[in-house]
Amino acid sequence: MFRGLSSLSALFSTLFELTTQPIDSAALRARLERPDAGACVVFEGWVRNHHLGKPVTQLEYEAFDDMARIEGDAIVTETEQHHPGCTILCVHRTGTLRVGELAVWIGVVSAHRAAAFLACRETIEEIKRRLPVWKKEHHLDGAAEWVNCTTEAAAKGPQPADYYARQSSLPEVSASGQEQLAKARVLVVGIGGLGCPAALYLTGAGAGHLTLVDAGRVELSNLHRQVLFTTDDLGAPKTAAAVTALRARNPFIQLEGLATELSASNARALVAGHTVVLDCTDNFATRFILHDACLAAGVPLVQAAVHRFEGTLDVFRRGDGGCLHCQWKSRPIAELDTAAGNCAGAPVFGPAVGLLGVMQAGEAIKIILGLETAETHRRTHLVNQLDCSVLSIAREADPACPVCGQEESFQPAVFSNQPTDAVLLSLDEMAALGKVQMVALLEPGESLDPARSATGTLPVPVGDIARLRELAALGPVILTCRHGVRSAAIARLLRLEGATGIYAMAGSSAAIGSSRV
Amino acid sequence: MLREQAGKSVLDLTTTAATPAELYRELQASHALTFPATLLRVSINERYVTMESPLQPGDRVVFIPPVAGG
Repeated sequence: MFRGLSSLSALFSTLFELTTQPIDSAALRARLERPDAGACVVFEGWVRNHHLGKPVTQLEYEAFDDMARIEGDAIVTETEQHHPGCTILCVHRTGTLRVGELAVWIGVVSAHRAAAFLACRETIEEIKRRLPVWKKEHHLDGAAEWVNCTTEAAAKGPQPADYYARQSSLPEVSASGQEQLAKARVLVVGIGGLGCPAALYLTGAGAGHLTLVDAGRVELSNLHRQVLFTTDDLGAPKTAAAVTALRARNPFIQLEGLATELSASNARALVAGHTVVLDCTDNFATRFILHDACLAAGVPLVQAAVHRFEGTLDVFRRGDGGCLHCQWKSRPIAELDTAAGNCAGAPVFGPAVGLLGVMQAGEAIKIILGLETAETHRRTHLVNQLDCSVLSIAREADPACPVCGQEESFQPAVFSNQPTDAVLLSLDEMAALGKVQMVALLEPGESLDPARSATGTLPVPVGDIARLRELAALGPVILTCRHGVRSAAIARLLRLEGATGIYAMAGSSAAIGSSRV
Repeated sequence: MLREQAGKSVLDLTTTAATPAELYRELQASHALTFPATLLRVSINERYVTMESPLQPGDRVVFIPPVAGG
């Protein structure tokens, strides 16, 4: 979708330009004006009078014009995709520039400042890293030298061998283990309390390619435990903010952020090609879909889940110690999710979820390095922060398990082979449905705005799945809840059970208030 | 959540219960636990078992509710 938008804007204006003329900031800024923009972030790169301790009098920039234009366009287009809603304009000067002159100008406009700041930073870092531009420095003593910006960055910057020195000197890791890590592709689904610390340690360890999946945006109530984000990131897509934070920590790995929601229809494609997968999500519906996709692809899954001060850690591999279905048998997923009580507002102890996320990273790294043992992987580890205890429960495959029971005839996706797309509806899509029953799912202590009940919205306690089944049987039902998490999960679960006309409103409901805050 | 309802995480007790299912019914009555037994996993001496598995003297039984937060 965002690719389309970017291509469209490319038709109307050039996103990246090379110029031999002095850069006119005001004129460029005017080109970015649009009525829905609430923020404009501008970066100006100036020629300074010193470099690596030597005085500089002027610079000459020379570019491979065509290549630089193609690469510059690619950088701007990609950055716009990473930060939906941002419009970016970038101009790079070539030719002779004196001290104080503008060498690079980047302007980003968007509805809110958080995304604009992130996109602006990413654009200049990528320009410095990738653009085929050389600069010739003229020093005060009359000497001059050509410097490739990229080579310069690489030569001056940190080196992988130094970066990983304290890790690769472990005999269990060594240089060959470090190479294994560099070749590994790790998928982290859910960039929250588990996903943030997990991604941090995977980044530090040098997992070569890290794919981060999360459709959410950074909220203030995330920050006490989601250690990748700062107050500057509020409102920004989690994946974009996470990629920026992780990029600053390790320049030697590939980072890919996908601001999308894992579903039955995209799970297999997302899992494909990865060495190991981390389940850092917050509901059983998604957990089962991801689990089934991993088992089907034969990719090891490191799963953790947290409730308040304690949590569980499991590694699932095909044919090893049973699967998630062996543990839960045929218990309805909707009831598991309701019982687990993980609405977005659920209380959680930051260090406990951090601990489990770090353990997930550790297990993933062990799998890549071949350090894992069957002893640790055929167990559910119950981690309790209040007692400082870990209790490990042995898992066994259930011979009667419909999913993994017969190894020869592995049947993935008992739960996840049904389409669950088009469950989330925008306001326009809701209107297009015509007559529907609106339902507000309420936690204890929450109440529905009386104006909403007057227009027919039905309040239903969040645990009353039976009532939802009844309503869904009568006609189309749209679920809402205070944060939009539980309603989406329950709608998907009822779909998996076979209900057809059940939907969830995308986003949170302002009509539900809480007396608990 | 069982811990929160019971007010403690470990109980030493003498019981006539023959299975985890019976034991959980006893605990529900004595500690006002409302969590439904059908949604629990259970282990005896650190191995997953079913609610109908036989209990022996000295067994350590752990009831594990569903957890999904992240």
